[in-house]
Amino acid sequence: MTFADLLLQQTINGLSLGAMYALLALGFTLVYGILELINFSHFNVFMVGSFVGLWVLQQFGLSGQEIVLAGLPLVGVLLAAFVVTMGVSGGIGVAIERLCLRPLRNVKGPAAMITTIGVSYILFNIVLLTVGADSKNYPNPVPAIHYHIGGAVLDLRVILIWIVATILMLGLYFFVQRSRLGKAMRATAQDAEAARMMGVEVDKVIIMAFFLGSALAGAGGMIFGLYYNFTSFLIGFTAGLRAFTAAVLGGIGNVPGAMVGGILIGLIEAMSAQFLATAWTDVIIFSILVLVLVFKPSGLFGRIAPTKS
Amino acid sequence: MLNRRRAAQLIASASAVAAIGGTRAASAADKIIKIGADLSLTGADAQGASRVKNAITMAVNAANDGHAVPGYTFELMILDDGTATAGQYDPAQAATNARKMVSDPLVVAAIGPQMSGAGKAMTPILSQGGLSTITPSSTNPDITNPKFAAQYRPAGKPIYFRTVTTDAFQGPNMANFFAEVLKVKKVYVLDDSGAFGVGVADAFEAQAKKKGMEVLGRDRLDPKAADYTAILTKIKSLNAEAFYYGGVSQAGVKLAKQAYDIVPTMIKGGPDGMTSADLLSGAGFPAVEGWYTTIAAPHLVDDTKAAEFVKTFKGLFGTAPDDYSITAYDAALVVIDAVKRVAATGKPVTREAVTDAMLTAKVPTIQGVVSFDANGDLADRTVSVFHIQKDPSKPLDDVSAQYKYLQVAPQS
Repeated sequence: MTFADLLLQQTINGLSLGAMYALLALGFTLVYGILELINFSHFNVFMVGSFVGLWVLQQFGLSGQEIVLAGLPLVGVLLAAFVVTMGVSGGIGVAIERLCLRPLRNVKGPAAMITTIGVSYILFNIVLLTVGADSKNYPNPVPAIHYHIGGAVLDLRVILIWIVATILMLGLYFFVQRSRLGKAMRATAQDAEAARMMGVEVDKVIIMAFFLGSALAGAGGMIFGLYYNFTSFLIGFTAGLRAFTAAVLGGIGNVPGAMVGGILIGLIEAMSAQFLATAWTDVIIFSILVLVLVFKPSGLFGRIAPTKS
Repeated sequence: MLNRRRAAQLIASASAVAAIGGTRAASAADKIIKIGADLSLTGADAQGASRVKNAITMAVNAANDGHAVPGYTFELMILDDGTATAGQYDPAQAATNARKMVSDPLVVAAIGPQMSGAGKAMTPILSQGGLSTITPSSTNPDITNPKFAAQYRPAGKPIYFRTVTTDAFQGPNMANFFAEVLKVKKVYVLDDSGAFGVGVADAFEAQAKKKGMEVLGRDRLDPKAADYTAILTKIKSLNAEAFYYGGVSQAGVKLAKQAYDIVPTMIKGGPDGMTSADLLSGAGFPAVEGWYTTIAAPHLVDDTKAAEFVKTFKGLFGTAPDDYSITAYDAALVVIDAVKRVAATGKPVTREAVTDAMLTAKVPTIQGVVSFDANGDLADRTVSVFHIQKDPSKPLDDVSAQYKYLQVAPQS
């Protein structure tokens, strides 16, 4: 492998990771943008999403690595799996908001944030107790087609993951920018009080933010499973923390910022393993975060948060 | 995958203490003797832990039923050192468990832990409490090395016994196997940041260099991270012929999976942490195909000597035992034998007396006569090498069917 091939290969690795972090980071950013709340339950909504995806794939008779689909059945199965996973994960997000966070909305201080940590652990332990602690094999219905670009290898599976992630992110972006509800979301993010006075249903906006964020986390969880071919009750914390870092790096509350932040973190992770050592990955990621925040406290793309009236 | 036993196990572990087994009705006059057991019942190594639990339960029940030690009834005190947050063994929990055992005066000996990281956390406490333990699978050599006595046996006496050999042999003997049998010239070494993984990888690396292999690099995996593609790409770019991974299955599952995508034809090796059903079910075929792994014990489950044990084990628990079920069973036999010899002298069965009895043990077990050196290490130093070869006619997560025994690794 030449140096250029190597760089290309690590970029491919990093982009796949980054796509996942970006999907996850969007959930943090959406909720923060509107409620100024760091939602730690998001970590494990991602993990639950990956198990929901696993369950759906198993309903289609897919288990283990042997069964491979192609053409329409593949697209159909994946589409169904993504839709169900995102629906269920989004539902979980809405339930968390409705049951655990809305009653605390007017409580000052860190009560709501601590509640999200609690919810995170509840989800974590429910999965541990119901599916068990061992790593679960994730089916891989995508044919093992490899494209060689010089010395680098690009899998069909990776391309599919990029496509799905891109569609979801663009979809979200246009939804927030163009649709009525998206406009209401942006208005609420700017000034919840004023938005309410202008007739925006703030509750609906908040529910929408939780639904979208959690649905994207669910999709991220399923992508995780398809990419790594395993899932376990543990996957939420490391990925969640890095995605949260990505959201802060890009400027929390800022939708394009979260996408770019996620991809950056993914690339940093891949490159630091290549040129330094895997053991140093976290040190590097968090050092970069600290540096960015010291010199640009609002993140790379600027922070968007509710203005306090 | 929630069956009743697993659910019970998890619930038990959630409440931290599960005292099961060995609780058959004792004759009223019998004195109770408790044997502590520290196992990793929660987390990535749960399957292996439940086999160890079954094996020692079987040995203890047999001893009670057969009145192996007249006047005494054994009871097991099984504690779980795995925690949900760690996802595998948790040294802090292991230390708590050690304290629990030491503070119960009825506990005169212990079995476990399975993991060296847990052993390192437990030994200072066990040593101060004068309580000896026999591990069926933890292989880090530092724990019994007199050089580290101040750390792991501050009270002086050896209290950490093993029915397996150590990584001082497991790592280097595998390096010998790489060099002599597989003719590997260039190797990359990885570990999983745990006490066991780092130690065995260090030992492998040192012997590999001695054998004239070129060690291209050394890196450490975060067992909770998901992505090892970057480091594997690096290994590929260095044109390594092989890599050796020192560690257990938590990182191992992901490593095997991703290594199959990136370096499918490279020679891959690992220690006993990779000889596990968790690897087979987590990473699955075809990813695990071709891995070379070891265990720090002779390979016995297919041996005629173990045939009866295997049959009884399967009959009682419905699952097949593995080689570390045998070393666990043997560990229980050693404890029972030590208690028996102390009781026979008519002296009270104290921790100290049991420790002394173990130091002079010559116990006929399934793996042969077990005796220890002055530090508690097993006299026999066999390391067995396995090769994962798919046998589609058997369950794909059955260790005894899918790991094909190759040979005893060359001794250095």
